[in-house]
Amino acid sequence: MSTRHAPTPPEPGPVRAFDFPVIHDDRIGDAGLRVLTASHGDLPLVTAHLVLDAGAGAEPEGLDGVARLTANAMEAGTRKRNADQLAWALESLGVELDTGTGWDAGHLAITVPTDRLEDALALFAEIVRRPAFPADQIERLREEQLAGILQRRKEPRALGDDMAARYIFAEGMPYGRPVVGREATVRGLGADHVAAFYEARYRPGSGALVFTGDITAERAAGLARSHFGDWNSGAAQPARVPVQPRVDTTTIFVVDRPGSVQSEIRIGDVGVERAHPDFFPLIVFNTILGGAFTSRLNMNLRERHGFTYGVNSGFAFRRQPGPFSISAAVATDVTARAVEEALSEMRGLHDGGATAQELDAARDYLRGVLPLTLQTTDQLAGRVAEIVVFDLPIDYFVQYRDHIADVTADDVARVARDRLRLSRLAIVVVGDAEQITKPLQDLGIGPVQVVDGP
Amino acid sequence: MIEIPFRRHRLDNGLRIILSPERGAPVVAVNIWYGVGSRDERPGRTGFAHLFEHMMFQGSEHVPESMHFALIEQAGGSLNGSTWLDRTNYFETVPSHHLERALWLEADRMGWLLPAMTQEKLDNQRDVVKNERRWRVDNQPYGDWDERLQTMVYPEDHPYHHSVIGSMADLDAATLEDVEQFFRTYYAPNNAVLTVCGDFEDERALALIDKHFGGIPPGPDVPAIPGRTDIPTVLERHTAATVSQDISLPRLYLAYRTPSYGSEDFYTAMVASYILGWGKASVLYRQLVREQRVAQDVVAFQFPIVVGAAMLVVWATAMPAQDPQKLEDAMRSAMRGMRDITEHDVQRAIHLIEARQLADLQRVDERADMLSMFTMLFDQPERINAELDRIRAVSLGDMRAFVERHLDDEVAASLLYVPAAAEEAA
Repeated sequence: MSTRHAPTPPEPGPVRAFDFPVIHDDRIGDAGLRVLTASHGDLPLVTAHLVLDAGAGAEPEGLDGVARLTANAMEAGTRKRNADQLAWALESLGVELDTGTGWDAGHLAITVPTDRLEDALALFAEIVRRPAFPADQIERLREEQLAGILQRRKEPRALGDDMAARYIFAEGMPYGRPVVGREATVRGLGADHVAAFYEARYRPGSGALVFTGDITAERAAGLARSHFGDWNSGAAQPARVPVQPRVDTTTIFVVDRPGSVQSEIRIGDVGVERAHPDFFPLIVFNTILGGAFTSRLNMNLRERHGFTYGVNSGFAFRRQPGPFSISAAVATDVTARAVEEALSEMRGLHDGGATAQELDAARDYLRGVLPLTLQTTDQLAGRVAEIVVFDLPIDYFVQYRDHIADVTADDVARVARDRLRLSRLAIVVVGDAEQITKPLQDLGIGPVQVVDGP
Repeated sequence: MIEIPFRRHRLDNGLRIILSPERGAPVVAVNIWYGVGSRDERPGRTGFAHLFEHMMFQGSEHVPESMHFALIEQAGGSLNGSTWLDRTNYFETVPSHHLERALWLEADRMGWLLPAMTQEKLDNQRDVVKNERRWRVDNQPYGDWDERLQTMVYPEDHPYHHSVIGSMADLDAATLEDVEQFFRTYYAPNNAVLTVCGDFEDERALALIDKHFGGIPPGPDVPAIPGRTDIPTVLERHTAATVSQDISLPRLYLAYRTPSYGSEDFYTAMVASYILGWGKASVLYRQLVREQRVAQDVVAFQFPIVVGAAMLVVWATAMPAQDPQKLEDAMRSAMRGMRDITEHDVQRAIHLIEARQLADLQRVDERADMLSMFTMLFDQPERINAELDRIRAVSLGDMRAFVERHLDDEVAASLLYVPAAAEEAA
């Protein structure tokens, strides 16, 4: 028996190609509800995912939080069943309704064993098309949403995210507040607002029904026709979200949380829209900066200095430019040093671009992990829905890995110079102001303001 | 019915191997369970099993510092490890042509870790882990709930009395010598299960495993779990604690001792947790959230742990301006209401569990982790295909007997969090 081990990593075996599942693209009914189907996997499971142009970006002025409240209200009962009966009917089939609200879209989805699909889809259609919005239940859901807003004030990560959005975007900009809404607006919401939002936004012509898993395109289209074929309420008007940055010079905003043993740091700026021509260079760039374990930020702040359990960076890609931010929770006594190190990594990438080795690693990582993020029917449905929300070509994911491979060192250097605007960052630090304010001032990178929480 | 295929093998050094092909996508999951967790820690070294897990990512004899992560990420893979009460696991999912790289990395740290260990790495990861504790526990609303419940549900000399993350003082006390001793005691092929799941050929995978792991010598017999491991599966007396924290809303946790994972009654406890708190037709949601509106959310789950007794936990977060006493009364009344559940409640719960397990099995990393788990805990990988039958076999009669015996509303570990300011005012 040998006790030596091969001293270098083995060579890879032959590559087996990854094929993104084929997506069938149909339209049904007078309103032209788009039906996208991708057969997938070896288990008897199907996801039905309805994506609608019903995101928070479409909320009427002064009613923020109504998109989320409407999504939650879909489970408050239908014209045939009250909330309790509806929950029993769904869950007796083993189904939990998944609802989500983003800025650009909202979704309702179910994942169900194939032999219960027919019954589950009938219920799903009843929920989508015949909601009752009983005033009493809407009031309860509103109070729960308010309770959630209250909790975000004491939860440091949520507080960091919310305050970063507030200081990245100019006052009055929708992206400056959380999708759940603000206390002042949510408090005024009721069943009438919910019904009106539903009426305006839950429309087949501007949405799509995505089927993934153990289902053929023929069966999907047949099911869609029988349950949604006569859903004829047209399309929603496209929403317009204005975007303006808050700061024109780098500013540190300290949100006091007395006694905090860590500081939640957010270094933010306005990013770019999803349709930006530099989308692929930007995700490669971000992987190198803070989008992987071996990124520059994580290797510095975690693996070299032990300041944090982890740091990451990312763009929130939306139809309009969402935030670009770096996030980390660091020990209170190293707060200023952590900010300084993060800025120095940003400066390094801005000034010098990435090495050839980093570029290769980032491209290989992004190309390789795509199939890992598509293992389940609901993961796949979520990605197919992106095609609808961002109006991408139907073969978008087939081309995805080639687009990544095409990103060059010059591309990364260029987008790093464009996007790392060190002179106009909004830096938010949620922590113990008494301990962290002075060291942050001493960094000399910009004015430090101690601000109130929400 | 679902039949996850697998074959089992064993190397001469005692390494147990499970191979489970799933050729759909060109990805493969490699998963290793070591039979060591926080339950095995000695007094004064709480949190060490987890700190050690971090050291396993710091390189080994042939893997330079930071290259473990780099070699997987460059291959287009994802990786991590986790430490739990009963075990420590390490896993990576990679494009299938990189299977051998993943095996080589896992073998190098199983067989050749110690030459790469340095004081500097230990000090760095100690800081990282202390920040993990701050992030998960100390700086997080209600963040110490599990740590507190474990001390209430398990006696001081039981291995589940302390938390996985451990105390800051014990993390500070850990030395390089501890790293070496822990490695020599627990990290050996005879205390590990290796599962490969996904896109590979059986014979080739087995040959690669033998090539990389076959030369690692077996370790000594693994020591017995320290402390008193045999305890009653029912709490002997009621305990209550109130914690004042910087939070917006009060939250009440109730915990119960239940039969340990693997016993038949465990599955009854699992179904009970779904009846109680899973979904909008669950007992707690119906009563506390929808009807009485005293709670904003409810949660119930069962810890799948094996030593002596498991733990069932329920919690509810109060609505604003809600009197915590009213929340507690409502919750205990709902627990009493468990005596009146019907066949509908049981079937709803079973159907939800079925759908959830099916959804979990879609992922090769989940399949691999389950196969490692069933092999490590019970030496029965076939349980991956039999678990659902055990759950379906739970009857209303079983449930009533379980509720009667284990969910006595007079005897629980009751942990109440209240907002700091509100308590001062009271």
